[in-house]
Amino acid sequence: MTTRAATRTKAIVVTGAGGVGKTTFAAGLAVQAASEGKRTLVLTVDPAKRLAGALGLELGGEPRQHPEQPLLWGAMLDAAASWQTLAHRHADPAVADRLVNNEFFQAATVHFPASQSYAAAEEAANYLDAKVWDLVVIDTPPAAGGIDFFTAPAQMSDLVGGRLLRLLTGGRIPGRNFFFNRGARPMLRFADQLLGSDLLERVAQFLMDLRTTYDGVASRSREIDSHLRKAATVVVTTADPAPLTEATRFFLELPEVAAPPVAVVFNRSLPDRWATTPPPAATNLALAENLARWASESQRQHDARVEFAARYKAPLVTVPWLADAPNDLDSLLDLLKQTDGLPALW
Amino acid sequence: MGSRRRRPGPADSPFTVTSGPKPSPLTLVSGKGGVGKSAVATGLALYAHRQGRRVLAIDVTGAGGVAAHLGGGRLEFKPREVRPGLFALTIDRTKALAEYVKVQIGVPQFATMGPLARAFDALASTAPGVREVITLGKVLWEVQHGGYDLVVADCPPTGAITGLLRAPRTIAELVPSGRVRHQAEWMSQLLSRKKTELVLVTLAEELPTVETQETMALLAAENLVEPPTIVTNRVLPRLETEAKGSGVAAEAAILHRSLYRNQQDWIKRLPPARKLPYLFGLLTPGEVAARMADAWEHSEAGSKS
Repeated sequence: MTTRAATRTKAIVVTGAGGVGKTTFAAGLAVQAASEGKRTLVLTVDPAKRLAGALGLELGGEPRQHPEQPLLWGAMLDAAASWQTLAHRHADPAVADRLVNNEFFQAATVHFPASQSYAAAEEAANYLDAKVWDLVVIDTPPAAGGIDFFTAPAQMSDLVGGRLLRLLTGGRIPGRNFFFNRGARPMLRFADQLLGSDLLERVAQFLMDLRTTYDGVASRSREIDSHLRKAATVVVTTADPAPLTEATRFFLELPEVAAPPVAVVFNRSLPDRWATTPPPAATNLALAENLARWASESQRQHDARVEFAARYKAPLVTVPWLADAPNDLDSLLDLLKQTDGLPALW
Repeated sequence: MGSRRRRPGPADSPFTVTSGPKPSPLTLVSGKGGVGKSAVATGLALYAHRQGRRVLAIDVTGAGGVAAHLGGGRLEFKPREVRPGLFALTIDRTKALAEYVKVQIGVPQFATMGPLARAFDALASTAPGVREVITLGKVLWEVQHGGYDLVVADCPPTGAITGLLRAPRTIAELVPSGRVRHQAEWMSQLLSRKKTELVLVTLAEELPTVETQETMALLAAENLVEPPTIVTNRVLPRLETEAKGSGVAAEAAILHRSLYRNQQDWIKRLPPARKLPYLFGLLTPGEVAARMADAWEHSEAGSKS
């Protein structure tokens, strides 16, 4: 491990496809760390009411301390609010107001795939800079599919840097007059025909306003990037094909933007012995048939895990399939106790 | 069945707004990520094909889910007959854009125009609705002109589906007149007719159920399509015996019964749905799709929500 820079706060990024139990596992890690004496903050994303329930914490925009575990804090990342903060932080007040009220700004917070991730990453970085916590556990936004969380800072400075403006005008970042004086250019002429010039003008206004935030966003992006490079990434998945495909991306695509994942957590793992132990002789037919189908499922999971670990040289962690999700501090601790193969993360 | 029907000639193009022969029924399949959307959509296409219908399956996201479940290699932007009477295509956004510009703007060599095409692509990703209208345009053109008995579209997940369905209206609001607006109105009309069905695939679990409820509320408020049909995937069978004794058989039974009980609780939170079974054990995507087609055949439709 490389030595930490100025901040002594360690970051764990918990990522993976949506619906695999990522949020619950992130909460489990945070509770475990707190119980071992680390001042820990767990950050989750907007719709994760489940985490609030499991932690017994009303989550808000500001970190809240847990009533029963004073070393544990929780906070929610609100992507839409973060975008507004971004505009106000990095643009002149008048421009910021115009930006926030621009329909394309509002659309960008919803449509631009990296925006939610960037907002989450920037907010997470603020907590890392605060140097209040020993450990910050970040539950990445599900909409981003995980990997966008790491590529968002670069994508964001690309958007703000005016990729579209450069392409429209051929290299230079223009002022407003330049842009419209050259309205006879073929690109503009035909975009006009397609969309109506009024629409194009509004898009251009948005991009030029956004452009004024460039210096701020670009330098912040670099800082966020450096935080992400130092973070420990934990990929959560199940042995099902779709989340596994998502998990492979963290090995194939992640090395450019961050350190390789320190662990792959297979949630909803069935015991291997279901596939290898025959049912007791006296077992009735229905129970034996039921075991047979779960045994085939256990075998499938086992094969998928082994193949994944062999192909990607990933430290393999298993979490048992629990019918009922943990719903308090004790059951979250219990989940971690039943977790097999987790390397030291803090 | 419909195989003698004419495929469109070269003069036709996806974005000409003319009334085709008779628009095909269209089923749009969406759902939260990871619920098995592509398998369910491909299974539906296979099932309809088994009944002798002339079917087109479209991979709207270009993620390859339809190709993986159909087998037989990559799909192209043009429909390919993967089995007699069963067609499939994948939407390549660059090609869809090139076709759009060719017809709307009259720039036939658009795709080879390099920087111009890239600039337009960048514009399309900034202006709301443009990208979606181009994608949806391809789907609806096939519906209007393809002469299929059914078009099944494997769509983006629920997070993006309202944006996709809303796109024609967004464009119609932004663009006051002209060809683009005319086209947007044609698209809205095709989407809101009775023969366009939206299927929301879900699981009997907390997060997919909540997301399905939220999507239904959004859709109900906007009136873009008919109320969606719910399909609950991976439903466990009832275990008709007590989980007695100890050992692996009892362990498996205890887990099964708890999961089953929780599933039944979540199923109650949504309108009655078609239920597709949990598939145990090692299956290839092709086997999964075939089992899904069986399941479409043998399951009961839920009520309209």
